Amino acid sequence: MQKDPHGLVVSMVAILVVFLSLYILYYCYRFVGYWFTRKKGTKSAKKLSESEEDEVAAAISLALSLENNMETQAAIAMALDCYLSESVHDKESYIITIKRKK
Amino acid sequence: MEVIIDSLEQFWLYTGFASATWQHLVMILLGITFIILGIVKEWEPLLLIPIGFGMIIGNIPLFPGLQVSIYEEGSVFNILYHGVRYGWYPPLIFLGIGAMTDFSALISQPRLMLIGAAAQIGIFGAYILALHMGFMPNEAGAIGIIGGADGPTAIFLSSRLAPELMGAIAVSAYSYMALVPVIQKPIMLLMTNKKERLIRMATPRTVNQKEKIIFPIVGLMITTFVVPSALPLLGMLFFGNLLKESGVTRRLAETARGPLIDVVTTLIGLTVGISTQANVFLSEKSVKIFALGLISFIIATICGVGFVKIWNLFLPEHRKINPLIGNAGVSAVPDSARVSEVVGREADPKNHLLMHAMAPNVAGVIGSAVAAGILLSFLG
Repeated sequence: MQKDPHGLVVSMVAILVVFLSLYILYYCYRFVGYWFTRKKGTKSAKKLSESEEDEVAAAISLALSLENNMETQAAIAMALDCYLSESVHDKESYIITIKRKK
Repeated sequence: MEVIIDSLEQFWLYTGFASATWQHLVMILLGITFIILGIVKEWEPLLLIPIGFGMIIGNIPLFPGLQVSIYEEGSVFNILYHGVRYGWYPPLIFLGIGAMTDFSALISQPRLMLIGAAAQIGIFGAYILALHMGFMPNEAGAIGIIGGADGPTAIFLSSRLAPELMGAIAVSAYSYMALVPVIQKPIMLLMTNKKERLIRMATPRTVNQKEKIIFPIVGLMITTFVVPSALPLLGMLFFGNLLKESGVTRRLAETARGPLIDVVTTLIGLTVGISTQANVFLSEKSVKIFALGLISFIIATICGVGFVKIWNLFLPEHRKINPLIGNAGVSAVPDSARVSEVVGREADPKNHLLMHAMAPNVAGVIGSAVAAGILLSFLG
C-alpha cells in the first residue's frame, strides 16, 4: 500500500480483473448460446424432415375436435408451449424414500 | 421514606431517561424517519423498516452492564449480530437471491455482462476518493463497495475490512439503494439525447433449460477461479440458482428464496440498525461515508451509461444498445432495471427495456461480488 498511496494501481488492476472475469463468462456463454441455438435448429429441421410435427398437429386437432372444453384446450396449448420451448420444469419423482420402521 | 427515595433514585439511574443524550434522540428520530420512508414512500420497506426499528432499539439509552446491548458479549442481540460481524448472513442472502434470479436475460444477451463490469468503476472511484479523504486503505475499500449497490456485499466486505465502520456503510448502502430512482434518473436524462433514448433493441432469443442449468456451474468456475476470495458470495449465489434451474429441487429453491431469505433479511436489517448506536454512529467519519456512498452511486451510473454510449460508437445500427440500460449495471436488483424501463417508456411508451436491463443488472450482482473479492485479496 505504501507503493500505491492513491490507490490507482489497485483500482486499475481490480477494474481489469472485474472486466476479465465477466468477459470470460461472456465469451463462454456466447459459445454455449451459439452451440445451443445451432443444436436447436438442427433438431427442429430433423423433426420437420420426419414429418413428426404434422402427425402431432393432426392428433391434437382430432383431440380438440372431440373436446369442447376451453380449459382442456388451454392446458394443451400450455403443455405444448412448455414442451417446445424446452422449459418443462419440476421433474420430481414424488417417491417417498423413508422406509417404514420394522 | 429515605429508603424508598434511595431505591427510586437507584431505579432512576437504570432508566433510559437518566442515560439519554441528544445523540440518542437524533438516532431515534433517524430510525423513525426510515420507518416512515419505508411505509409511506415504500422505499425498500423490507430493509428500511427493520433497519429503522433496529436504530430505535439500538439507541434506547442503557445503563452499562445490563447485558442487553449489541456490543456486550453474550447478549441476545450480540448473538444475533454474529451473522453480520462474521459475515455469514450475506452468503445466505446470496443463496436466496440466486434461487429467485432468472439469468435468462443475461444468457440470451451475454455481451450485456460487460455493462455490469463497467458500473463497478464506481466502487474504485469511491475507493480512491476515500483514500484522499484520509481513510486507511482497508476502510476505503469497505466504503467503496457501497458503489456496488449491493447491501449484503457491502456488509460482507466491511465485516472483513473495517468492522467498526460497518453500521454506517450498511445504512448508507441500503439508503442509497432505496433512493436508486431518485439518484439515477436525472443522470440518465443528462447523459442521453432523445435519439439514444429511442433505440429499440432486438428481442432476446429464448433460452432453454439446459443453458440455464449450465450457467451457474460455468459461472461459478470462471469467476471463482479468477477471484477465489469471492467464493462465499458467488458460491452461494450460483448454488441457489442451480437449485432453481435444476427443476428437481423445487422445495429447496422455494425455501431459499422464501422463508430463509426472509428470516436472514429481517435479522440483518434489525441487527445492522441496532449496531448504529449513537456513540459509534454519529461521527465525522459517518458523514464522510454517506457523502462517498452517494458519489460512488453517481460514478457507477455515469460509468454504466457512458460505457454503453462509447460501445455504441463501434456497433452497427441493428446491434446498438439503448444507453438507458447502462444504469442497471449496478446490482440494485430489480430497482435499477425498473428505472431503465420507466425512463425508456417516458421516451417511447412502446419501448420496453426491462428485459434488456435485467441482463446488466444481474451481471452487476456478479460484478460487485467479484469486486468485493478483489478488494478482500488486496486489502484483507
